[in-house]
Amino acid sequence: MSDFEPRIVAFFCNWCTYGAADLAGVSRLDYPPNFRVVRLPCTGRLNPKFIMEAFKRGADGVWVSGCHPGDCHYIAGNYHARRKFVLMHQLLESIGVEPDRLRFSWISSAEANKFQAMARDVVEHVKACGPNTTFRKEDLKLGLAEVA
Amino acid sequence: MPALTDITNKIRESAKKLLASGQAEVVIGYRQGTIPMTTSPFFARTADECDLLVWSNFARINLANYLPGRAGKVAMVAKGCDARSAIGQVTENQILKDNLYIIGVPCTGMIDTNLVVAKEARPIREVVETADDSITVKGQGFSTDIKKDEVLRRNCKTCVNRTPKLANELVGQEVNGAAADDFADIKALLAKTPAERMGYFKDLIKDCLRCYACRNACPLCYCPVCFVDETRPQWLGKSTDPMDTMTFHLLRGLHCAGRCTSCGACETACPVNIKVREFNRVMELTVQNNWNYEPGLSWDQKPPLTMFQTDDAADFIK
Amino acid sequence: MQAALDLANAGYYVYMVEKSLAIGGRMSQLDKTFPTNDCSMCIISPKLVEVGRHINIELLTLTDILSITGSEGNFTVNVRKNPRYIDMSKCIACGECTKKCPRKVDNAYNENLDKRKAIYVQYAQAVPLKYGIDASECMYLTKKKCGSCKKVCPADAINYDDKPEDASFKVGSVVLAPGFAPFKPSEFETYRYDTKDVITALEFERYLGATGPTMGEVVRPSDGAHPHKMAFLQCVGSRDINRADNGYCSSVCCMYAIKEALIAKEHSGGKLDVTIFYMDIRTFGKDFERYYEKAKAAGIKFVRSRVHTVKPEPPAGVKIGYVSDGGVSAEEFFDLAVLSHGLVITPETKEMSANLGIQTDGYNFARTSTFSPVALSRPGFYACGVYTGPKDIPTSVMEASAAAAAATSKLTPARSTLTKVINIPAPVDVTGEPPRVGVFVCRCGINIASVIDVEKVVEFAKTLPFVEYAAVTMFACSQDSQEKIVSLIKEFRLNRIVVSACSPRTHEPLFQETLAAAGLNKYLYEMANIRNHDSWVHANNPAEATRKAMDMTEMAVAKAALLVPLKENVIDVDPTALVIGGGVAGLNAAMSLSSQGFKSVVVEKDDKIGGQANRILSTVKGENVAKYIEGLKAKIADDPNISLALQAEVDSVEGYVGNFETTLSNGDKVKHGVTIIATGAKEYKPTEYLYGQNPQVVTQLELDELLKANDPKAIDSNTFVFIQCVGSREPGRMYCSKVCCAHTVHAAVELKKLKPEARIFVLYRDIRTYAQKEDLYKEARGLGVIFVRYSIDDKPKVTESGGKLAVQILDPVSGRKLLINPDLVVLAAAIVSGRENELAMKYKVPLDEDGWFFEAHQKLRPVDFATDGMFLAGLAHYPKPMDEVIAQAQAAAARAVTVLTQPKMTVGGIVAEINQTKCSGCGVCVSVCPFSAISLDEKGKSVVNEAMCKGCGNCASSCRSDAPSLRGFTNAGLFAQIASAL
Repeated sequence: MSDFEPRIVAFFCNWCTYGAADLAGVSRLDYPPNFRVVRLPCTGRLNPKFIMEAFKRGADGVWVSGCHPGDCHYIAGNYHARRKFVLMHQLLESIGVEPDRLRFSWISSAEANKFQAMARDVVEHVKACGPNTTFRKEDLKLGLAEVA
Repeated sequence: MPALTDITNKIRESAKKLLASGQAEVVIGYRQGTIPMTTSPFFARTADECDLLVWSNFARINLANYLPGRAGKVAMVAKGCDARSAIGQVTENQILKDNLYIIGVPCTGMIDTNLVVAKEARPIREVVETADDSITVKGQGFSTDIKKDEVLRRNCKTCVNRTPKLANELVGQEVNGAAADDFADIKALLAKTPAERMGYFKDLIKDCLRCYACRNACPLCYCPVCFVDETRPQWLGKSTDPMDTMTFHLLRGLHCAGRCTSCGACETACPVNIKVREFNRVMELTVQNNWNYEPGLSWDQKPPLTMFQTDDAADFIK
Repeated sequence: MQAALDLANAGYYVYMVEKSLAIGGRMSQLDKTFPTNDCSMCIISPKLVEVGRHINIELLTLTDILSITGSEGNFTVNVRKNPRYIDMSKCIACGECTKKCPRKVDNAYNENLDKRKAIYVQYAQAVPLKYGIDASECMYLTKKKCGSCKKVCPADAINYDDKPEDASFKVGSVVLAPGFAPFKPSEFETYRYDTKDVITALEFERYLGATGPTMGEVVRPSDGAHPHKMAFLQCVGSRDINRADNGYCSSVCCMYAIKEALIAKEHSGGKLDVTIFYMDIRTFGKDFERYYEKAKAAGIKFVRSRVHTVKPEPPAGVKIGYVSDGGVSAEEFFDLAVLSHGLVITPETKEMSANLGIQTDGYNFARTSTFSPVALSRPGFYACGVYTGPKDIPTSVMEASAAAAAATSKLTPARSTLTKVINIPAPVDVTGEPPRVGVFVCRCGINIASVIDVEKVVEFAKTLPFVEYAAVTMFACSQDSQEKIVSLIKEFRLNRIVVSACSPRTHEPLFQETLAAAGLNKYLYEMANIRNHDSWVHANNPAEATRKAMDMTEMAVAKAALLVPLKENVIDVDPTALVIGGGVAGLNAAMSLSSQGFKSVVVEKDDKIGGQANRILSTVKGENVAKYIEGLKAKIADDPNISLALQAEVDSVEGYVGNFETTLSNGDKVKHGVTIIATGAKEYKPTEYLYGQNPQVVTQLELDELLKANDPKAIDSNTFVFIQCVGSREPGRMYCSKVCCAHTVHAAVELKKLKPEARIFVLYRDIRTYAQKEDLYKEARGLGVIFVRYSIDDKPKVTESGGKLAVQILDPVSGRKLLINPDLVVLAAAIVSGRENELAMKYKVPLDEDGWFFEAHQKLRPVDFATDGMFLAGLAHYPKPMDEVIAQAQAAAARAVTVLTQPKMTVGGIVAEINQTKCSGCGVCVSVCPFSAISLDEKGKSVVNEAMCKGCGNCASSCRSDAPSLRGFTNAGLFAQIASAL
């Protein structure tokens, strides 16, 4: 299991966590290269379907991160998002997706160190879950056809 | 007079009055189905048609399903759960409150035909509903009494809002609610391992044909285009991959969160008897625990996903 | 920054002169801000970027002002630009130089708690993000040794021969915002600042900061252990004329101490005991009192006492000696003591004031009057921030906008004559063409290329669908690369561009301009951040880093292929303002708008204008209010730009920013581009202390009226009892009414001057004479006014027998009950909001739980609503004294001008749109839109108002049937990214 390198899809809001990742870069804070970032204007843009789509396509983990409550660039985007997260978190956990596969966090644009620590933690936990074999499509050769 | 007959008469009387006075252009109610243990929805527009309206232990369909987008004044016959759905639709702008007249029926629960068949496997030709607490099913050479309590739908067993208190009128005596759904089964399930839970849910939907009968029966599913039919992007593969089926049920669960009144129409509609409400119940439990919200209990409720509190708890977010 | 932005957005060219390497000031040093605990950097950084990128703001960093000659409308500013030793046009802020620089220097940004290098950026998010060399420390510049930065700089930006340069330019007016320095407690022996475990609050702030020396961990400096007990010592260098000569209150320390205490408690997981030693807790701002209550509930201890001794307890910690309320001496051990040091004017600022001929007060703050709160003594000079007195961020921001309004009131004819506009060619229509994607992979010198195999990324990119061209560039952002990209777009008829380089947060606007220059719609652009998110963080794993860069490029290409050109539309703006409320706030806003040449309609529900100010006698500075109001009324009457609608209210409202139409109760229809809400507030009608039962019990405003009328009821009274906080700071009204303490103290002083023999008692909970108003408090005490404190659990008792009033109160100092027989009892009644629910609903703006109108952002947008085109001023926002009301009114006008000054507004771009065939009209999107940009049309389907949409995408993720989509972030585009990420 130790040589398993998980593939993780991360959804970051532009103003906070994406900024924290930028700052982590400026500060040369290294972390494992296992996730790919989809930049959203706000975590409020995160449709729960995006999380499903990532898993469906074989992601071993999903990480969603945005501004701390109260810091939203769009005033209330992350407050609304937080309610969706509550449902999504509970639903996926209830049907047996390992809790460690799905991570939610608040990381402000100044928290590069928290970003680094969280990135390491996310990868470590997903790694411990092992490859996602149960919550994905059986055939992953989906291509872009289903998208466009 | 048996309670059901009394209610039937009152529904007819009320319907006629509403049509005559112009308070309603149509009364949506139930009429006897063509096979035993069924009713079908019926739109009464004349006094004669009103005489076809009935009340029964099998009025399982949620007639709120016919309200969205309806113009003009409409009256509907509603159980507690149906009325809550209708109220939800008013909050969701699907029908104007002023155009809606709810003929509320204090409900003692609807019968799950599968449970009846389990008790009496022989072909049933007729059902007699004259007693208040039991039914008699008859077939060739048999007549069996069945206690209503024993064959109630599972959602009816845990219905606390049996009397539609916000209805414009009540036909029949108020009834007490049953003990609330304590979600004991869901809680027990959550105590199991993720693999066991995954196994449970995968097994639950293994027979799903994706016929979408559950969606069609659901009064919450009034979207002009359902996500299952979306193509750009395609949310849901058209393949038989179980993950696509799972995705359908999960997203439907999410869409019903904070809106489902546990009317059970979906489970009644399912041709392969899947307990599809299981997903909704996980969501209902979450909604109640987190935001202490139950839909359709007042006209000015704000559904939980249209609002927030700045101090909403979400400890799992790190 | 706010002043510069408001000026530049109102059509003026702005020179911004900054002494240091970068803008941002003190706020960039803060971790969190009170009372919302917002992350300071997160909220300031968009402003930094906006200033940095503004075409009409010329940033002059490292620049000193030598002199300013001339007069208003025609000043000449002579400046000296000090050398940076870095060519700003070349520096790409890669940080290679800092890595190699051998010279370590104390880091002032982190309050010297850690080290930086001699070549450095002030802080990571600095604007301009360009390095600079500290000439006094650089080994090359001091000893001609080293030179390693020049060797490693990939952009050849180092210039050791940089020389100071003098320049001059002409301006119409000058805004001074030199800020403050924190008081240096080293002058005090008492506080033993020389001890390691005694630190200042700003130092502690850096400890709490994520970018600070311990990265947010709370430690005891002497040994790095986690402290168990810490103390805050308030009023260090404030309210102190014995040792510091600073008689004023610094206004912000109580709040920042509470904030730091709360955050420290949070960071330590609650395992920290915090005590705050204070004289009066001054939580007078909006939501401050609740913050204080929250701190008490969180277990923070508040001890009313001025600490007299701090004794180091080697090896770590200190013993603090103080006298508690009952006069008992106590000594307590703390691991850490934080000195809440005040704000002071620096000697350099003092010198600047003298050089520029600006009058200052005894504390070196610049003098202003209540009625023109941002105008300085020298005509044409205006000010904002702490320069005119200690204040917090929102008040500073408010003043900044006010200064922008005041500074341009005489420059209106020059508007838009010196500003630059960007000319771009009309974009080519690419609709219907198949995507032809161009991919540019940036080496960023060695920043990317030293880790990532960029050639491999290019080769991979060429294999991706729709990619027509892919190449490596040295610095994609350099001038020559930009020009090359423009010509390649034309040569290969590229219609989608992907740049794999650095962060879109910093560089997307630049590349979008490049696209525009090539005649391509700027939204046909996508970026892959292979530097910040890849090469810089995976330097130890080049193979994986390269793979990640390929994936990221693929994701960007997949999204880019689905991008469509986005339209920006222009809408007309009606250059008129509707001002609701004809009090001091509304009238000043209208006057300020008029001086800028804009018309306004002032709606007042009363039959006369002036509002509550009609009742007030004089300001705390002694200025006569009645005279002022008279003058104001006369000016308004003569002003052709201002029309009044008296005895009128708002009936109904239609439209949005630029195009409102409001129908008034008198039937008038007003078309207006912006709305300013200035509906004021009321004095609370007390039900306590025999008010309304005994005629000798009056409110503060009633006393003013009595004094104005020379009424014997006031004039002939001899014993006065003032009771503070009547109806304020209590459950149900958990806020401080902010003005009463100063008002009472001022009245007491005036009465004492009028009748030296008068006996005056002030019964208070905390005296909140913040800023320079503290002098008044001191004066009152000097004149023999007696101040007696009471607690909320033991309020004074007012009784009456035989027509004689009696007041009973427990004196906490002596522990004895006092009995006073006053002739007049004056109640400092709370200021209560009008709870304008209906008005709020009509304009779709929010109220807070106390009924105050709720601004867009408590710190940085104190006069804006979240809804565009809506502004607020005065007591409708929160109680405040008249100078702050007028500043806020001028600020609202300045913000309004930024809208009114543009005849057409550009809307669109990344905004939401609704596919109505999918819309069920359920209204979820309407509810979740934070900007009220979505409404239901006559068919009951959602529509987006592009002028109000800010592009957050909440609607798109909340709709069950995907009727809304967010342009630029469509479901299809994001799905494509997800698909290619895996």
